[in-house]
Amino acid sequence: MNRRDAVKAIGLLLGTAVTPSVARAIRTGYVAPAAGQPLRALTVAEGELLATLTELIIPTTSTPGARAARVDAFIDGMLADIFTQEDRDRFTAGLADVDARARAAHGVAFVQATPAQQVAILTALDQESRKAAEGSHPFFPRLKELTLVGYYTSEIGATQELKYVHVAGRYDGDVPYAQVGRAYS
Amino acid sequence: MLPTDVHIAKKPTVYDAIVVGSGISGGWAAKELCEKGLKTLVLERGRPLQHRVDYITEHKAPWELPHRGRVSPARLEKDYFIQRRTGFIGEENIHFFFHDSKSPYVEDKPFTWVRGEQVGGKSLMWGRYTFRHSDLDYTANAREGIAVDWPIRYKDIAPWYSHVEKFAGISGEKLGLAHLPDGEFQKPIPLNVVEQDLRKRIEKNYPERHLTIARAAVLTEPIGDRAPCHFCGPCWRGCSTGSYFSSLASTLPAAVATGNLTLRPNSVVHSVIYDAKKGRATGVRVVDAETKQMLEFHSRVVFLCGSTLGSTHVLLNSKSERYPDGLGSSSGELGHNLMDHHFQVGAFGEVEGFEDHYWYGNRPIGFYIPRYRNISEATKMKEFTRGYGIEGEASRESWGRGREIPGFGADLKAKLHDPGPWSVWLTGFGETLPRHENYVTLDSTKVDSFGIPQLRFNAAWGPNELAMRKDMASSMAEMLERCGLKNVKPYDENKPGGLGAEPGLGIHESGTARMGRDRKTSVLNAHNQVWDAPNVFVTDGACMTSTPCQNPSITYMALTARAADHAAREMKRGNL
Repeated sequence: MNRRDAVKAIGLLLGTAVTPSVARAIRTGYVAPAAGQPLRALTVAEGELLATLTELIIPTTSTPGARAARVDAFIDGMLADIFTQEDRDRFTAGLADVDARARAAHGVAFVQATPAQQVAILTALDQESRKAAEGSHPFFPRLKELTLVGYYTSEIGATQELKYVHVAGRYDGDVPYAQVGRAYS
Repeated sequence: MLPTDVHIAKKPTVYDAIVVGSGISGGWAAKELCEKGLKTLVLERGRPLQHRVDYITEHKAPWELPHRGRVSPARLEKDYFIQRRTGFIGEENIHFFFHDSKSPYVEDKPFTWVRGEQVGGKSLMWGRYTFRHSDLDYTANAREGIAVDWPIRYKDIAPWYSHVEKFAGISGEKLGLAHLPDGEFQKPIPLNVVEQDLRKRIEKNYPERHLTIARAAVLTEPIGDRAPCHFCGPCWRGCSTGSYFSSLASTLPAAVATGNLTLRPNSVVHSVIYDAKKGRATGVRVVDAETKQMLEFHSRVVFLCGSTLGSTHVLLNSKSERYPDGLGSSSGELGHNLMDHHFQVGAFGEVEGFEDHYWYGNRPIGFYIPRYRNISEATKMKEFTRGYGIEGEASRESWGRGREIPGFGADLKAKLHDPGPWSVWLTGFGETLPRHENYVTLDSTKVDSFGIPQLRFNAAWGPNELAMRKDMASSMAEMLERCGLKNVKPYDENKPGGLGAEPGLGIHESGTARMGRDRKTSVLNAHNQVWDAPNVFVTDGACMTSTPCQNPSITYMALTARAADHAAREMKRGNL
């Protein structure tokens, strides 16, 4: 039985490359808010900061990015329904830290910093997280992972950025990659 | 279409046959018995389910599911606390899974009992891999002096394999191997380009090893109104074209067509009614799942096809003065010799090259490497007996690898625009030995929501399984390395006494009412008849005398059809 496919498709949309709590979240369930619904775990300001961060991770290029795909709402739903209180607090503390860094360095909230300043702060967070001690729960990898899941399972991410094949009708085990040109979502 | 408004006559009716369960085995019993002209009542504990109509998530995109595939943890914890261990229960398919809360059980040692709860049973959920057993398997117990001898040989079941394969529709490749007999195959689904290359490398390096597309109950050619596979991918959501074999698409409609079938869902079988004077069963007791009322249904023969542990549960609970420990208990083997396939052990690695190659379509199956241990003198292993088959796949990862790629922004997005390198993943399914000390029994105090005593599980892997697992991981890793793969890593999820690769998780549970040649040491005879009551047949996984490493469902189909034929003949002769 192709059980690994089932596990990957149903239980673990992100394959095996997930942190335990996100794996738990994906395994055990997440209720996505409908578009336009108010955020449930985050304040409006936190939500805007989060949307800005996700767009920095998966920006609009020739296809729409994370903001258009409402990845912020996806993460808010994860925080509200799935994360433990401890994980939720850790995540909002991570958001607060991002803002604090912007204020310390540039005297403004993160969302008001210039794009170059925003990228510099996020780059520093990324680099610090790679040196982080085991079990210290750095913010950046968590944010990045949630952004990837939220984006590539959205209609925008799955069909515009990547290739979504609904009902193939046939199987061909050797197709020139150039004919497809994008990864299957 | 199956009848949803099931009519049960108000005045007592005696059926020719009662079939308990409507899954893979029950569906076959229903079809064969009905086609032989027998008025047959099928009792299914789960809810009614309509082919096509009730595949409510089929062909939906991820973003079309209201909760994007997720189910709330509270719901899983409340009703699916065992089923969730599979790792593949989600919004796409949760409606096919059993509510553990309705019929919990006791685990003295961990056992993951995965169950279906609808007309069609686990035939809606199964993996669809179908491989015949051979005489290497049917003679193994006798040759090695383990447990008891199978009362049948390959020649006894071979025509029945052909019978069920033609109707079920099996696609696959003939290999001419004695230990994995060829069958009635439709044209095979192709291997992909990397798998074809790996096949050549394996053949070059290991003369006794083969790589082939899995033989599977997935059509590549039409059968009746069942269409060939359209490669949409998630078979676990149901298949409205009937392209994979399920009771709903295949056997039950055939039974309906005879006019001899009565189907009663929401019917939890409590026990078999035994008449000591006649020395036979007269019917079954049923708890109506909706009203909780106890009902009785009567028949000349009873087929227990309620899944391995479902059927044994019924037998254990069929207590009479004559058989206080349950019908079929006279040998002392009822409930014992519980087996499964042990898995969650294997290896994976990366393939260099082939970056310009991709595939089209979502293939429903992967490849298979037939057993290569202990199949001849040359392949004999000192450390363990029996063997394992390997399931695998070559593929390219998509965006899931994004977390491992450093950085963020347009660069990251651009990298994930293309798929990752090709990799190969292998997992083994290993035979486990029938051991008396692995058993289920009835709990003396706890009952389920239908008032039926709960099952109590005591089973664990033994030394042979553990020794085999070591070889599985190292041999698969060695094979991938020798075939030129990079970054090869073995894995084994087994955590002794805990969850990870625990018994039951293979969902190939079998034994507990074994067939044999002697009523003193077995529960069933060579035609799946309970020695203690010959008009009771058990034809699902419970009957297994050993559990060869091949995926078992096709054997249950064949044994069921064979037993139904025997039952009909014996009834005609007046012997039943």
